[in-house]
Amino acid sequence: MHEISLVRSVFNTLEAEFTKEELQNLHAIDLKIGLLSNVEPALMQNAFEAVTSAEEKFQKVKLNINLIPIEIYCQTCDKHTIVENYKFACGTCGQPNNNVVKGTELLIHQVHFDN
Amino acid sequence: MNQVEKSTKTARGTVTCDNSTMHLLKANDFVAAAIRKKAAAENFLLLNITSSAGSGKTTLLQETARRLGDKINMKILVGDLETERDADRLRSVGADALQIVTGGICHLEAQMVWQAMEGLNLEGLDLLIVENVGNLVCPASFDLGEDYRVTLIATTEGDDKPKKYPRMFLTSELLLVSKVDLIDYLPFSIDAVVADARDINPNIGVIEISSIKDIGIDEWCNWLLDRVAEKKAAKKEAATG
Ligand SMILES: Nc1nc2c(ncn2[C@@H]2O[C@H](COP(=O)(O)OP(=O)(O)OP(=O)(O)O)[C@@H](O)[C@H]2O)c(=O)[nH]1
Ligand SMILES: [Mg+2]
Ligand SMILES: [Zn+2]
Repeated sequence: MHEISLVRSVFNTLEAEFTKEELQNLHAIDLKIGLLSNVEPALMQNAFEAVTSAEEKFQKVKLNINLIPIEIYCQTCDKHTIVENYKFACGTCGQPNNNVVKGTELLIHQVHFDN
Repeated sequence: MNQVEKSTKTARGTVTCDNSTMHLLKANDFVAAAIRKKAAAENFLLLNITSSAGSGKTTLLQETARRLGDKINMKILVGDLETERDADRLRSVGADALQIVTGGICHLEAQMVWQAMEGLNLEGLDLLIVENVGNLVCPASFDLGEDYRVTLIATTEGDDKPKKYPRMFLTSELLLVSKVDLIDYLPFSIDAVVADARDINPNIGVIEISSIKDIGIDEWCNWLLDRVAEKKAAKKEAATG
């Protein structure tokens, strides 16, 4: 699984963005994870705990994971459809469609500081 | 957010991040873009071959090297968790192959391919094939800068693979159903696999192959030669304006 390297990537991204002092006040990280990202939320939480305790940082920080459903857009109908059961077809006209507009996210959405 | 100066946003309360800079695969995608640029400049086609462990990637590439070795200039990079075994097998049939040992990492990342490319002579190269680590989950998320992603499913696996690993099929241009010589002995439906794969990706191409019984290998090699020719033609067109 690549969850460990993703957790490291979260830390690297934040460390590039904020100073050490600022990160002292960090108390929560919100990730947006699409259902197509191949990331398992439970494994991500485990990896987060493993890395925070091994590297002794971000230990009081809470990781929140928002799962984003898969959404496709049909140009013909100008309609969005939520994909269920991996059936990639427009909900209105039924045409096969893999124009994915949501669901591949793997993002830090928000970070929360104490002060 | 700005990468050079820290804290262009105040670290107070809730900070909403900008999607383009806080993408967790940003570093990988940055290197993948560099690889794509290099492949365009050197004018070779780059393929990323994925599958579960043991679906027949190396065997297919051995056969491919045997047939195309004197037709085009091709090289192979092969990812493996710990061993050099696959590269040895490829070299045994005369292929120019280099192993990337990932040291336990279950997928190749663009950075690993970039480093391996530095050890290759790219001059006059027509085709660079990357055999990914055998696994349909993690490699799906890591762009290696390839022109095409090719995924194998063997008849010895479950035919429910596309629905279980949709990301891989969504991002592949070609599905190779491998080991079809065994189809009579197995509860595997090629039609079901193709239908499921096309539910996810209506445009995915399909070739049924057996590397040991020589089924579909010509079709596969022709597909490769066509893609190589296409890429060269596009470059020529761009050059002549
Ligand atoms: N019957 C049959 N067996 C095959 C075929 N192609 C490969 N095999 C066998 O399947 C096994 C695995 O083949 P490999 O080519 O090593 O598979 P791979 O995908 O490279 O495996 P990893 O690199 O470990 O993921 C070997 O024992 C091959 O001999 C085929 O077309 N038919
Ligand atoms: Mg192999
Ligand atoms: Zn529609």
